Amino acid sequence: MEMLVFAGAAVVKIAVVMGVVLLTVAFLTLAERKVLSWMQDRMGPMEVGPYGTLQPIADGIKLFFKEDIIPAGANRFLFSLAPILSLVPAFIGFAVVPYGPNREIELFGVTIKPFIITDINIGILYILAFVSIGAYGVILGGWASNNKYSLLGGLRSAAQVISYELNIGLAIIGVLILSGSLSMVTIAEKQAGSILNWNIIGMGHGGGIWWWFPVTQIVAFVVYIISAVAETNRLPFDLPEAESELVAGWMTEYSGMRFAFFFMAEYANMILVSCIASVLFLGGYHAPYPGTRLPDNLSWIEGVAWFTVKVYAFLFLFFWLRATLPRLRYDQLMRFGWKVMLPLALGNIVITSIVVYFLRD
Amino acid sequence: MAVAQWVKTLTFYEILVGMKATITVLIQRIILRNRKAITLQYPHEKRELPGTYRGMIALLRYDDGTDKCVGCDLCESACPSRVITVISSEVEGEPMKRYAKEYYMDMTRCLFCGLCVQACPVDALAMTTEYEWAKYNKRDLRLNKEQLLALGDRNFPVREKKLEFQHPNVAYFNIGHKNLPPKES
Repeated sequence: MEMLVFAGAAVVKIAVVMGVVLLTVAFLTLAERKVLSWMQDRMGPMEVGPYGTLQPIADGIKLFFKEDIIPAGANRFLFSLAPILSLVPAFIGFAVVPYGPNREIELFGVTIKPFIITDINIGILYILAFVSIGAYGVILGGWASNNKYSLLGGLRSAAQVISYELNIGLAIIGVLILSGSLSMVTIAEKQAGSILNWNIIGMGHGGGIWWWFPVTQIVAFVVYIISAVAETNRLPFDLPEAESELVAGWMTEYSGMRFAFFFMAEYANMILVSCIASVLFLGGYHAPYPGTRLPDNLSWIEGVAWFTVKVYAFLFLFFWLRATLPRLRYDQLMRFGWKVMLPLALGNIVITSIVVYFLRD
Repeated sequence: MAVAQWVKTLTFYEILVGMKATITVLIQRIILRNRKAITLQYPHEKRELPGTYRGMIALLRYDDGTDKCVGCDLCESACPSRVITVISSEVEGEPMKRYAKEYYMDMTRCLFCGLCVQACPVDALAMTTEYEWAKYNKRDLRLNKEQLLALGDRNFPVREKKLEFQHPNVAYFNIGHKNLPPKES
């Protein structure tokens, strides 16, 4: 019985999270087109529904009914596998993200944490591991298409994802030093207090009279954001897709639902890196003021709302960058990744560990 | 100077300037609402075309319903894309007067340069402001005389008088013409 309740609660949590993420993915496509068009003196989708609000549904139906083409000479198995390899890792990372306060409720004698699907003690490592697998989807999709543009896109993506994943991994180490844990829930809990305790400012890590000393992670934050944009293959780092050079990069030969899978994976990855950024650097579900304003039994609404606001702010930043910046050249991308981002991330680790060592004395 | 450059690089100054520009446009569009999209929602709203717009070509009539065209073939020879085919013929009973028995325009080839309109000695051709002429069959775009006259009737409801009535004091040499206007004495 207890097992059943536990499993049932887990399934319900997974279903809710998946539903919300899929819905967000669908309407992110619309939001992106709308925001871009507003920034570029255009209107965006206007035909389907009032002000084009039902456009994602129309797009979904269209992609669902489109012909599924597998090019002659393509490796059929890998060609079919690639979209799945892209999509599954993008969704799987949401399992360890804390969406709200780490509180427990009793249900039929079983303790359930309603806002956390699971709290594994290597949460952030788990996400990074699965995001890396997502790169295989891109590379295999590019190779299996038997198309020069796809192959070039896949190769570019391999190089880009590997070099920028390194920077993501190094950027978050500063946060891990401050938190002393790899669990996403613990990392979020350590930033309780106010905006000053968020890792981006990082007060409250010193003892005694040094309580105010900020161990700021703003460098790591900037490195993380830039690397995250590169990791999700978004402009200005969308070299694997590069419409003006490679047709559609590794997605050139894909159509119908397989293309939709790649598309959903891209947007799900955007949401995932936004979730990680808000948990690691912006305090997750914590409000910028101390404590909560709502009564204790309703304070979870405030937590979830603040988390949502932070995630959507990051998503808006993605659109904003796309509307503003042109695409980098390939050598610029590599030089920026290895010669600028990597030393910055390494320097951040060194300085943070030295400061923390002396503060915690 | 070098320090300022370093500070600019480290704070992503140029990128921030660009991002300010884009967010300004967005705020003007959505919050201040003092900026409009330059897009027109085409099938629902259409551009106001200038009077000199060069759209579909039409044949015109005089105010008594007779067609202006005298079948001189000048438009055919002026056309750079060989769009026009005129089959000219005599007006029955009036041996000095000719007219276009058949008149074809293959609009698939037309480049809307307006040279035929310029070439016409009697202003029988005119360019309309019609442009929504997408067809499923390209043969529907080979227009005959009736279609071209219908285009003219549709777009130019005010028709010209015949030449002899426009300028009654000008000497008129077409002896084949039956009812000449009486000369004002």
